[in-house]
Amino acid sequence: MATIGHNNINAKLVLLGDMGAGKSSIVLRFVKGQFLEFQESTIGAAFFSQTLAVNDATVKFEIWDTAGQERYHSLAPMYYRGAAAAIIVYDITNEDSFARAKKWVLELQKQGNPNMVVALAGNKADLEDKRKVTAEEARAYAEENNLFFMETSAKTASNVNDMFCEIAKRLPRAQPAPNPAGMVLVDRPSEGSRAAASCCS
Amino acid sequence: MPSDTGSSAPHHDLDPEPQSVEEQLASVTLSVSDGQPSTHQETNGVVLESVNQNTQLVMEEQLQHISVPAGEIDEVRESADRGVVWGRTASEVDMDGLSSPSSSGYAGERGSSSETSGSVIGDVVEQDEIEETRNDVIVDEVSESRTPWLPAKRHVDEDDASISWRKRKKHFFILSNSGKPIYSRYGDEHKLAGFSATLQAIISFVEDGGDCVKLLRAGKHQVVFLVKGPIYLVCISCTEEPYESLKGQLELIYDQMLVILTKSVNRCFEKNPKFDMTPLLGGTDVVFSSLIHSFSWNPATFLHAYTCLPLAYATRQAAGAILQDVADSGVLFAILMSRHKVVSLVGAQKASLHPDDMLLLANFVMSSESFRTSESFSPVCLPRYNPFAFLYAYIHYFDADTYLMLLTTNSDAFYHLKDCRIRIEAVLFKSNVLSEVQRSLIDGGMHIEDLLVDPLTRSESSSHLGQHKPPTESLERLKEPYLGVGGPAGLWHFIYRSIYLDQYVSSEFSSPINTPRQQKRLYRAYQKLFASMHDKGVGPHKTQFRRDENYVLLCWVTQDFELYAAFDPLADKASAIKACNRVCQWVKDVENEIFLLDFIAPSVSFRYTLQE
Ligand SMILES: Nc1nc2c(ncn2[C@@H]2O[C@H](COP(=O)(O)OP(=O)(O)OP(=O)(O)O)[C@@H](O)[C@H]2O)c(=O)[nH]1
Ligand SMILES: [Mg+2]
Repeated sequence: MATIGHNNINAKLVLLGDMGAGKSSIVLRFVKGQFLEFQESTIGAAFFSQTLAVNDATVKFEIWDTAGQERYHSLAPMYYRGAAAAIIVYDITNEDSFARAKKWVLELQKQGNPNMVVALAGNKADLEDKRKVTAEEARAYAEENNLFFMETSAKTASNVNDMFCEIAKRLPRAQPAPNPAGMVLVDRPSEGSRAAASCCS
Repeated sequence: MPSDTGSSAPHHDLDPEPQSVEEQLASVTLSVSDGQPSTHQETNGVVLESVNQNTQLVMEEQLQHISVPAGEIDEVRESADRGVVWGRTASEVDMDGLSSPSSSGYAGERGSSSETSGSVIGDVVEQDEIEETRNDVIVDEVSESRTPWLPAKRHVDEDDASISWRKRKKHFFILSNSGKPIYSRYGDEHKLAGFSATLQAIISFVEDGGDCVKLLRAGKHQVVFLVKGPIYLVCISCTEEPYESLKGQLELIYDQMLVILTKSVNRCFEKNPKFDMTPLLGGTDVVFSSLIHSFSWNPATFLHAYTCLPLAYATRQAAGAILQDVADSGVLFAILMSRHKVVSLVGAQKASLHPDDMLLLANFVMSSESFRTSESFSPVCLPRYNPFAFLYAYIHYFDADTYLMLLTTNSDAFYHLKDCRIRIEAVLFKSNVLSEVQRSLIDGGMHIEDLLVDPLTRSESSSHLGQHKPPTESLERLKEPYLGVGGPAGLWHFIYRSIYLDQYVSSEFSSPINTPRQQKRLYRAYQKLFASMHDKGVGPHKTQFRRDENYVLLCWVTQDFELYAAFDPLADKASAIKACNRVCQWVKDVENEIFLLDFIAPSVSFRYTLQE
């Protein structure tokens, strides 16, 4: 849940999507500013945190980078339960990964928190010559389903920070204030996180 | 990649001998289509061993129906009366092979998994003789019209690659009982459908006779089979390892698969016998190849015991105390390890953490690069603890070598475990455990050069593991390769396994056992010794003294411990025995540093003396 207090927002964010779509690469780009040509497949889920300054608030993202491998699909609710935001990632050079992304959208619509900010990321935008999924098609789908859409490249860093910033900005709006049911307000001690990055826009 | 031997590159096991068991198996299938009576019944080519021996009898009755191409294979006992069986199987597999590309899950999987295997195994090679064989069988049984359906890649010319595939000394396969490939050490599983069908046909033929195939010998090759419900495991090897050792390796491979999937994967086969399991193991090639690599360097794989990183007693106690603290807060197992060695380990039910589970868990964690990136929370199954259920593992690396695993049954425990880790990290840091761990990794464990001729002089020393040199000097020794010739009495190496503790300690390698190849050869020799000592019907006290051109091997088994020692091949028996007694005394003297002792089991006992 996104928890608000003193302009500090703690937000649980989950990345979902097909294996190899670039979830880990997007997170590593955002959290560590790195990109690996041979990023290993994630096992279970990896946890990261990163703080962003948006306008007058500070958003601390607690990020779950889940594994896209099929055997972990049934465990996904463990990671998206209670999330304030989700990024569903597909690979623009791979139609199956787009189909898989749509299944994740459906699953979140059925099981997820209705106030969740959901972003659709068409990753590997640097591979224009291998593109299989057009931006128009994805944007139309995103609009129909009330998702916020961006094409990203973890490799060139294009749109990666912007996407997290945009999510950060949308968080408070997605969180109508008086809704005590099921809300747990915990201010976790921030531990060893990098200096708060400041939002680009 | 874990490696004590210093060999980072995976072994390719190239066999200089071109005649391989795959070729011999190929001849078996080819002969079926001829349908002529056998004329070679008296020779010693392929021999089959099974649980009951009745298969053998059935086969002998049927021998007159077999044809054997002269010069290719001497005897084809196990292929009797199989024209129908082979044909049916081959056509089934043919159809599976056609359907799998479209049903093999999500795109991207093939790419990413071959990336993994490419970087780990090196050459990913394919075979072609199996395809040929299968096609030959199909020609007789199935209409020609199938051929155009075969994916084009089956006919790609890949001679060099296939020769290297056939020359591998040791293959491991996992397949389903319908003959679908699940895993292959070498080559792409999807292209091994025909070969899998051959293996499946052998197993199911014997099963149809109410028997269970264990072993097939063909020339210098052994084919070892292990049937685990709907999953079959097969090893084809010309390494001359004993059957029991190879079977143990197949058991570990099966258990490693359970670590990833649990035994509930069997249910998929109940629903659909043609279930394709490969997508479920996506991205795990590296886990299996690392395990298979460890068969040649990690004695834990045959000793069924774990080993500790040597540490001062107080250091290990400090680590144990904080882990215990955490375990009391609802963590099932808390394990701190450095590479494949245990720093400390506590648990709500410590006794039930089996050494094989630790081996497989450590292998799973160390071989998956993903765990090094950040803290992770992943389902894992400990097959000896409960093969049907997942536990949840919080995994965190403190540095490049040292990692913490906190296991729980509660899938919501991540934040609690993360808090536990923060507490543990603070204590480890404050009590210098992590720097001691790093120092121990550099210093190493027991060096045979430190085994004193006169045991009395050691009592004066209080240094690391009773070394009579200051630790700085042993650091120097590592920098410049030590040029001695082992310890006293020509002792080259030893392994001491404590039966009560489920732990072993192995001396550091030194000259002349200082290349990975020599180390592997020594482990294979120990492994053989272990298998022979654990043969059924062995009494509690037993010794073996073997001399060959490579070593003198001395093995001593009591109710409390097992000692395996290797000496110079010219070593004198009486002094070797003396050295073994001294090794046992030495182990006793430093047990606080080399073993994890903080539970009720008796410590290392020393009421034995080996006599000539
Ligand atoms: N060219 C290009 N390659 C990328 C990009 N993002 C990721 N990759 C590559 O795609 C591969 C898979 O990326 P990962 O980040 O591991 O994908 P993932 O979604 O985390 O995969 P799983 O952990 O298996 O679910 C890696 O080899 C990356 O280097 C990108 O934006 N451009
Ligand atoms: Mg990933």
